[in-house]
Amino acid sequence: MTRPHTPEADRVHADFDAVWGTPPGWRTLTVVNHTTIGLRFMLTGLAFFLVGGLFAMLVRVQLALPGLDVLTPELYNQAFTMHGTVMMFLFAVPVMEGLAVYLLPKMLGARDLVYPRLSAFGYWCYLFGGLILLSSVVLGVAPDTGWFMYTPLSSVPHSPGPNPDFWLIGITFAEISAVSAGVELVVAVLRTRAPGMSLDRMPLYAWYILVMAMMIVVGFPPLILGSILLELERAADFAFFDVTRGGDPVLWQHLFWLFGHPEVYIIFLPAAGIVSTLLPVFAQRPLVAYTPVVLAVLATGFISFALWVHHMFTVGIPQLAQAFFSAASMLVAVPTGVQVFAWLATLWLGRPLWKVPMLWLAGFLFVFVAGGLTGVMLALVPFNWQVHDTQFVVAHLHYVLVGGMFFPLVAGVYYWLPHFSGRMPSARLGRYGFWLVFVGFNLTFLVMHWTGLLGMPRRVYTYEEGLGWDLPNLVSSVGSFVMAIGVATVLVDIALHFRFGRRATPNPWHADTLEWATSLPPGAYNFASLPEIDSRHPLWERDGLADEIAHGKHGLPGIAHGRRETWGVEPLSGRVREIVHLPGNTLLPLVVAVLLAAVCIGLLAKAYLPAAAFALAATVGMLRWSWENGAHPRAAPDATTPPDHPPLHSRTCDGPGLWGMNLTLLADGALYLSLLFSWFYLWTVAPAWQLPAGGAARGGGLLLASAVLLTVASITLRRLVLRLRQGIGAGTAGGLAAVTAAGVASAGLLVFALRDPRLAPTATAHDALVVFILGYNLFHCALAALATALQVARVRAGYVGAGMPYEPLVVARLWYYAAAVAWSSYAALGLFPTAWRAT
Amino acid sequence: MKPSPFHPVQISLGLVVWSVWFVALYAGLAVACERAPQAPGAGGPIALNVGFGLFTLATAGLLALSATACLRALRREPERPPRERFVARVGAAVHLIALAATLFIGVPLLGLPPCV
Repeated sequence: MTRPHTPEADRVHADFDAVWGTPPGWRTLTVVNHTTIGLRFMLTGLAFFLVGGLFAMLVRVQLALPGLDVLTPELYNQAFTMHGTVMMFLFAVPVMEGLAVYLLPKMLGARDLVYPRLSAFGYWCYLFGGLILLSSVVLGVAPDTGWFMYTPLSSVPHSPGPNPDFWLIGITFAEISAVSAGVELVVAVLRTRAPGMSLDRMPLYAWYILVMAMMIVVGFPPLILGSILLELERAADFAFFDVTRGGDPVLWQHLFWLFGHPEVYIIFLPAAGIVSTLLPVFAQRPLVAYTPVVLAVLATGFISFALWVHHMFTVGIPQLAQAFFSAASMLVAVPTGVQVFAWLATLWLGRPLWKVPMLWLAGFLFVFVAGGLTGVMLALVPFNWQVHDTQFVVAHLHYVLVGGMFFPLVAGVYYWLPHFSGRMPSARLGRYGFWLVFVGFNLTFLVMHWTGLLGMPRRVYTYEEGLGWDLPNLVSSVGSFVMAIGVATVLVDIALHFRFGRRATPNPWHADTLEWATSLPPGAYNFASLPEIDSRHPLWERDGLADEIAHGKHGLPGIAHGRRETWGVEPLSGRVREIVHLPGNTLLPLVVAVLLAAVCIGLLAKAYLPAAAFALAATVGMLRWSWENGAHPRAAPDATTPPDHPPLHSRTCDGPGLWGMNLTLLADGALYLSLLFSWFYLWTVAPAWQLPAGGAARGGGLLLASAVLLTVASITLRRLVLRLRQGIGAGTAGGLAAVTAAGVASAGLLVFALRDPRLAPTATAHDALVVFILGYNLFHCALAALATALQVARVRAGYVGAGMPYEPLVVARLWYYAAAVAWSSYAALGLFPTAWRAT
Repeated sequence: MKPSPFHPVQISLGLVVWSVWFVALYAGLAVACERAPQAPGAGGPIALNVGFGLFTLATAGLLALSATACLRALRREPERPPRERFVARVGAAVHLIALAATLFIGVPLLGLPPCV
């Protein structure tokens, strides 16, 4: 391990390791710190990448020559579906998130992410969700309807087997990890930076991750909603996408691509963040145009949400609407272009060192710019119509995704290898690997553009001789094997470096960012003390900073209190505001994830009673998890702080938990808005929209009563919180119990509404959506009531009170949200139908 | 309530306004075509295009005003700390980006009929 080995540094390290260290044996399963979790994400992602790559090779073997029957049509469908699914959901996003989980606290000068247990929980959900999906391959029932799972092909009449269920349930389960990591990364960037690291001094990588994480928070919920609706249609015959019952399969396309297009940028932005981090180091100068690049990242994040319909130009949307999306699709190239010119200008003005990571960055620039150009071509509606569903689109998306994600990722892996192993990568084998991948990739996919322009559709398992597709397909298949050999070379190189690589010196690339101020590999606590930051390039401008950190010369150097802690800062200025104390190792995230995996397996096996029992057990597990929070002795063994230090966050009114709740509700709100979109969409566009007999609005009156109750409860809770903040603790438990009772009563009203015998969710899409909206309201009432009941118990246990109003403050946000949902649901179900019919 | 030009919310406000405009434009077009469809083949400036065009110009005007407010504040208060000036500078630029995006995406309103 590269760190100063003075007696003082050794003592500091030993003290910190006693509190933060990773336990041996089976207890490694309890580890929650971001370094271990980030590495697990990346290693698991690598395993899924190899599986996804294997499916790709099967596809290329089958298409190498006309008329081959290496795979049956059914197996071919499974192979291309699993290739796309695994690469998009189980490799690209999780690996990028894993790298961010690993790097971000180190770059920001923090000791860990803000919710370590959530990090661990997210990892286990990702692992189990991926394994559930892959188990379908072993069972011979892998999803086979394409990675975007279009209805009606994925609906029961056309896919009666369990294949799509594995996709819908496995992927939705894995997506828990994406959203939870998204929430955590946003809060970490905004609230746990080094003192003095104001927004304008933040490393560019953190800006990229901030925007990516916000995009995940808003972008993943539409797909989660779509998956739940489709699974409900498949399992319980609810009518959401069935035209004959008033649904619309195009609704699925909207929900999928509302997620699907931002997804491309969710993958690209962190990769671009890697480029913006590495390129200045190897160009030996700061990145040109910091502020314009920040602006470009922000603009990309927003505009990328206005592109989704360009995947649907052929479904019959009015020309004017297509033109809006066409214009937005062209527009998004501008901020990307700003970044490309900033990178080129940095290279131009710097003195580039052509190390192995730089080769991959150069490859990225070439491949990604080419992919971006074909993207602008596809933004043009007439051209898009011509090449829709051809191999041209497959080639384009690989140029964008492999060029925009894989090349920078490998550059990043080589660059940060000393972090993972304490050793330097080789120069020779890495170069061979790069050139094999670069040549193989372009052989495969450059040629595939022409195959598409010659008219070859995608997703056909074979083709006849003499159509002009023989040679380009053979070249693509040969190229894919060259690329595979290149990937294998890179992996061998990385594996060998763990044994033969030269020992890394401190900050071996002479980088500017704080992650190189740790030891190599870093300890679980990252920094023995947390430095004050006064520039964007701390390691370029302060020689000896790493030594000072290791010797405990900076902030929070003590660990005698036995708690894990890092600074909590103001989002804009980086001024220290509180000490964020962090939970230690625990098995709870794994236990809850195992129970949820059992729920998923129960649903797949249609064993609904066991699934419900496991769901109940998982809820108990989560309650136990949230019990060890705040003032609980396991959350902060010693709650005292030195007189010149700020308080612990759990003794304030604005800790990271409040930010996490707000962001979780933002994700929840994105799902709810997608639900309202579905409701209004079907009313407006569904080709055979059917109103129930009598046309009466369903559930309106009871929803109104529920909304009133929730509003009264929210006001009561707000008053209780205000009293706590004023130091008045008397009557808190009774007040919270009354609020809980209001939640239970509200839930009871909604149960009553759902029992309306006129509701027929299997007969019409109208009633199916009414039931779902009522169920969504019921879930939130029950959740708010349960969370408040827990608060009653915590008041009685002495963990919440006059000096500690933090937790009810967090729970109050859930009540406000539930009340707002109830009112808007009443407007949508009770008022809108009458108004629509009256006009 | 108007946020200060130096408030961090300015970093995303312009593009949030643009997002709301875009959703309203697309959803409004779908609803308008369902409730008051334009006869196929009708050309020239028509009521829906004019209505959406005015909405677009109003949004663009709002974004221009907000960008101007940020720029004026930067000139008026040069003594603000660098981090706050960074926010106002980014805020002004974000509003201008949103303004450009609004006008560019609104251009098809000048030439295409709404419901065909």
